[in-house]
Amino acid sequence: MKFIFYVSLVLLLVPLQTTLLPHLSVWNIKPDLGLVAAALVGLFAGELEGLLVGLVIGWVLSLFSAGELWLILLTNGGVGLLAGFLGKQVSQLTSISLGVGILLVSLATGLFAAMTFKGLDMSQTWWMVQSIVFPQACFDGAVGAGFYWLLSRRFALTRLRTE
Amino acid sequence: MAHSSSPYGARRIALACFAFLLVALFLFPSQIQGLLQYLGGPIGYAVGVPLEAIASIDAGIADRWERYVALQGVREENQQLRKEIEWLRGQHSQLRESAAATERLTSLLHFKEQALPTMIAAQVIGRDATNRYRAIILNKGESDGIKPDMGVVTPAGVVGRIVKTTGASSVVLLVTDPNNAIAGLIQRTRDEGIVQGTQQGLAQLKYIPLLSTLRDGDRVVTSGLIGDFPRGLVIGTITRIDKEEGALFQSAEIMPEVDIGRVEEVLVIQTSYGQSTKAGMETDLREKPAP
Repeated sequence: MKFIFYVSLVLLLVPLQTTLLPHLSVWNIKPDLGLVAAALVGLFAGELEGLLVGLVIGWVLSLFSAGELWLILLTNGGVGLLAGFLGKQVSQLTSISLGVGILLVSLATGLFAAMTFKGLDMSQTWWMVQSIVFPQACFDGAVGAGFYWLLSRRFALTRLRTE
Repeated sequence: MAHSSSPYGARRIALACFAFLLVALFLFPSQIQGLLQYLGGPIGYAVGVPLEAIASIDAGIADRWERYVALQGVREENQQLRKEIEWLRGQHSQLRESAAATERLTSLLHFKEQALPTMIAAQVIGRDATNRYRAIILNKGESDGIKPDMGVVTPAGVVGRIVKTTGASSVVLLVTDPNNAIAGLIQRTRDEGIVQGTQQGLAQLKYIPLLSTLRDGDRVVTSGLIGDFPRGLVIGTITRIDKEEGALFQSAEIMPEVDIGRVEEVLVIQTSYGQSTKAGMETDLREKPAP
């Protein structure tokens, strides 16, 4: 059952991310649903599933992007793993704290991606950070918080937690 | 809300997997990426089904919106005329290029007959999955004969080039992306340079000789020297010239001819004019008897 859910998630993420989200983009910036999904899976299913689902999402999304495969693979996988670790340390999770967490993680991965971009000087890197990385991180945080709020209202959510 | 369970085994496995992947990517970057890209070929078919379905629904909604919200007759006529103008612009540019080429080539004895490039029509079904690249996704892939580095155009001009393919789709890096570089030529002055995208979504012609007499409004076309574009396809029009004191070259900002944000159908150049001619020349050389 879980496997079917994850396969459906991956299959639906690509058309959502590449076909529908460009219509909802603000200033040509759209949220990274792959990163949000990896973070939520890591949070609710633990670090191992977060890592594996994040890696698969990153791999499949990279097939539909001009970006480097390793970067999308590692950032999504890393976010799933990190969300799994951090999720166990937080006893009471709210949509706002989750939103802030996703914002910070997205900002970190975006900065890492900007640093690895070839042929950019300092001013171009700064332009990329302020016009792509930061707005996208805010967008990711808002979408993640919104999803969590919707899920927590609809379902009785259970998380893995370290004692 | 939270229940206490701490699968430390899972944590160790997750960390080990991630560490293994990092080491593997660090030690064998091209092999691992090549393998994952190869394995992604069949995945492209699976993902292509919902992708095409949603893209066709999206296109259908957009089509109906345009038909019923706008004035139907005027809208259609306008679209038809726009397409005609685009086609005529492309023809006009090609004819100007042909006229210039004819003048130069009439003096040559070994004039070769021009072979038309082979093209594959494809539809745009999506945009890049990330925000960091300006790219579009096409509904044709490896199974249709599309390969990386092939040029992509519309009747109006250059769109970009293929950078990735799966079985049923391909990714086109647009001419406005800073990571894209195409050999360009100023149609009037015949000065060559490299066209590269800018972060603002335009393009820039770099490495233009300082003595070039280029001016605003000059058209930039493909030079056909590098890559899979035939000579003479319109890239854009010069809107600003940057000439810095002490610099070895000058550069110019270009407004792309194709409205990249609205492109819906494209043509992928499978065999360019240059390649056809080169192939023809090789055949001719083989046919010639040795002296």
